[in-house]
Amino acid sequence: MSVLRITDLRKRYGAVHALDGASLEARSGEVHALLGENGAGKSTLIKILSGAVRHDGGSIALDDRELRIRSPRDAVRAGIGTAFQELSLIPDLTVAQNLFFGREPLGRLRGVRRGRLEQEAAALLEQLGIERIAATALVRTLPIAQRQLVEIAKAAARRPRVLILDEATSALSPAEGTWLLELARRTAREGAIVIFISHRLAEIRDVADRMTVFRAGVDVGAGAIDQIDDDEAVRLMLGRRVERLYPPRREAVGEEVVLAARGLTLGTRLAGVDLDLRRGEILGVGGLQGQGQRELFNALAGATPARGRIELEGREIHPTSPRRALAEGIALVPEDRQREGLLLDLSIRDNIALPVIERISRAGFVDARAETRMVAEVAERLQITAGSWAREAGSLSGGNQQKVVLAKTLVSGARVLLLYDATRGVDVGTKSEIFTLLRELAGSGMATLFYSTDLQELTNVCDRVAVMADGRIGGILAGPQLTEENVLRLSVGGSLPPVAAEAVR
Amino acid sequence: MTDRRQWLRRNQATLLAYAMAIALFLVTSAFAHGFATWNHTRVLLVQACFIGIVGLGQTFVILGGGVDLSVPWMLNATATLLTLWCHGQAANLVWVLPVLLAMAVIVGLVNGLGVTLLGVSPIIMTLGVNGVLQGALLLITNGGQSPTAPHAIQQLATGNVAGIPIALLVWAAVALIAWLLLSKMSLGRQLYATGTNARVAYLSGVRVGRVTVLSYVISALASALAGVLLAGYVGEAYLGMGDVYLFSSVAAVVIGGASILGGRGHYVGTVAGALILTLLAALLPILNLNPAALQVVYGFAILLTVGLASLRLGGT
Ligand SMILES: Nc1ncnc2c1ncn2[C@@H]1O[C@H](COP(=O)(O)OP(=O)(O)OP(=O)(O)O)[C@@H](O)[C@H]1O
Ligand SMILES: [Mg+2]
Repeated sequence: MSVLRITDLRKRYGAVHALDGASLEARSGEVHALLGENGAGKSTLIKILSGAVRHDGGSIALDDRELRIRSPRDAVRAGIGTAFQELSLIPDLTVAQNLFFGREPLGRLRGVRRGRLEQEAAALLEQLGIERIAATALVRTLPIAQRQLVEIAKAAARRPRVLILDEATSALSPAEGTWLLELARRTAREGAIVIFISHRLAEIRDVADRMTVFRAGVDVGAGAIDQIDDDEAVRLMLGRRVERLYPPRREAVGEEVVLAARGLTLGTRLAGVDLDLRRGEILGVGGLQGQGQRELFNALAGATPARGRIELEGREIHPTSPRRALAEGIALVPEDRQREGLLLDLSIRDNIALPVIERISRAGFVDARAETRMVAEVAERLQITAGSWAREAGSLSGGNQQKVVLAKTLVSGARVLLLYDATRGVDVGTKSEIFTLLRELAGSGMATLFYSTDLQELTNVCDRVAVMADGRIGGILAGPQLTEENVLRLSVGGSLPPVAAEAVR
Repeated sequence: MTDRRQWLRRNQATLLAYAMAIALFLVTSAFAHGFATWNHTRVLLVQACFIGIVGLGQTFVILGGGVDLSVPWMLNATATLLTLWCHGQAANLVWVLPVLLAMAVIVGLVNGLGVTLLGVSPIIMTLGVNGVLQGALLLITNGGQSPTAPHAIQQLATGNVAGIPIALLVWAAVALIAWLLLSKMSLGRQLYATGTNARVAYLSGVRVGRVTVLSYVISALASALAGVLLAGYVGEAYLGMGDVYLFSSVAAVVIGGASILGGRGHYVGTVAGALILTLLAALLPILNLNPAALQVVYGFAILLTVGLASLRLGGT
């Protein structure tokens, strides 16, 4: 049996102590969960273990042998395979090339044999149980969930002794999530150490044997999974309790339709979507991955215009560009924060102010004071832990980056929010804040369309949930009908139990 | 505290460029007699203003994620047509200058629309436009000599006001405009956003196409202005007079700390870049080096600054 022992690890970024003496011990055969609020240092630890960054102090030992990890190569040699939170794939290479990057099967004259590369990649994907991804596809063209699957496959491909999954479920659909949990369990059973990072407590309870909790770069608790209940885990993470993750729904949502879509069509992705989004409601969108949810959001936000009719408060509008949609008061949190949501090299302030930069300018000159006030306000609201608004957005932890994207839509003064997985990677504490905020906004008339890969979130946050299948709305669930089970049923094209069926609109 | 550290880190390359410019000036002064006098410094600064002004346009284009290689013949065309159409008569400037201005706007639009609407890569598009301008100019002039520049233009490029060269005042004025645009105005923010990640900018409501086109128009206008000044400075226009600015304008931007990939840098840095390149050119005769060595020296200057800038000051 082998043991991974991390002792007193330290890492500083300028004035930020990302890790401040963190320790963790994990044994082979176990799935070890790592918990902590956004910015607690989880990914930093992972990056150190994988050789992506170097630590300032502390030690890492596997089987009582000190590991010296100075490069990704060292990590691979030590048997560490990592699925990174922000993915490490090269967009312009194919799935196969990414999977075997740096260890391609060589032919004569050491040329890479493409055919064989693709065969082996396909075999690997199949063996892991990943369907629907062609080994020849360019990674750039894949939606984020599929990229996430490729990242996982890449980490698992070399049968590592330590498999690290950094928020690998956050972009996956429930079914794929279940698949990953099974993969984690199986890998552990076969004798490896699995380190599993997630903000979803249910998932952790489901898969992990032991857990370690980080707060502000230090481990503040560790133990077997059944020794630490959810409340205790949250208290360790945040240093306080979260009374309730999901705020109560409003009793009655008005009937007034704010945003209506009729017959939205886009190639084979959207096959005539009809949708009514009412004032003050949070309307969830569910279904299996890739049933047109992304296209629906993009169409409404003007990012990928579709055919059909869109009405805002009874008036037909033509959101042919995001700019137009924004001008109508429709704001989108896009799927991929790193490639669609954030300017990673620019400051937090520049990012948040960008959608409204013209509005807060007079004669072309930016009103710096108004800007700072606005940014400070929304950043506080969303608890973006940054220290300085001049910091580059790319240096924030994953969850904090996500909050910046959300902040952009909040400052835009939107009447309709299109939130595509807006809480991906956000910690429990902030999630509850965000849900409370969304409820408040709804209370003052905001209409919100809410997509999430997290079933629990869908059924607990939303007033109604529209389940998509094959580019259409397969059914809408509300009231007592709104259960995880029913969402799943509609997702796979099943029907609801007969008694309840008539309540479906 | 952290704000200051952020600021230092972000502006590290620019600060280095200024340090290098000053060091270069001091070292040269120590070896060459009369180098550091105001009279000579003034000459150097006026020489720097040509790279500086062409580099202004180049800065905007590069920040937006492109590059403008039509700079040399844009400059050349402006200078040549100015002298040709004016026939030495300052009175003709009344119509010649507006026509040249309009021409610059058109060239900028063609570059910008080619890149944004047709999706041609900036290098190909602007190189093509450069070739067209060169060919057209050869046809128009038949390769012959053009008349001298009108006196008013010569005065503009070589005259002084209260001991300060007018050309320098022109440079200061456009530099101020550039600084306002980049640092204080929404256009600047949108330009940085576009150069950093055009998709994100687009999704955030930025008119990416418009911003990009505008950057090419600014560049063409800057080259035209430099063309007018250079014609006045030399006293005439000749074919090939803009050629050196292809390389030096891009070099000034890069030495000034901008990323050639866009989204990072500032005109403040380009000014330092222009000064460094000018000082290096002035250094050659002092060192008894062949003028042909200039390109080599420029090349080393780029490598040196880019190398220095990539060393992180004050740790990671
Ligand atoms: N390149 C960097 N430059 C500066 N600070 C950084 C950098 N990378 C990370 N940090 C900081 O280090 C701290 C820890 O970040 P880390 O990414 O490890 O958090 P995390 O626990 O993974 O959070 P999340 O749950 O949001 O993913 C944060 O405060 C973050 O802002
Ligand atoms: Mg993380």
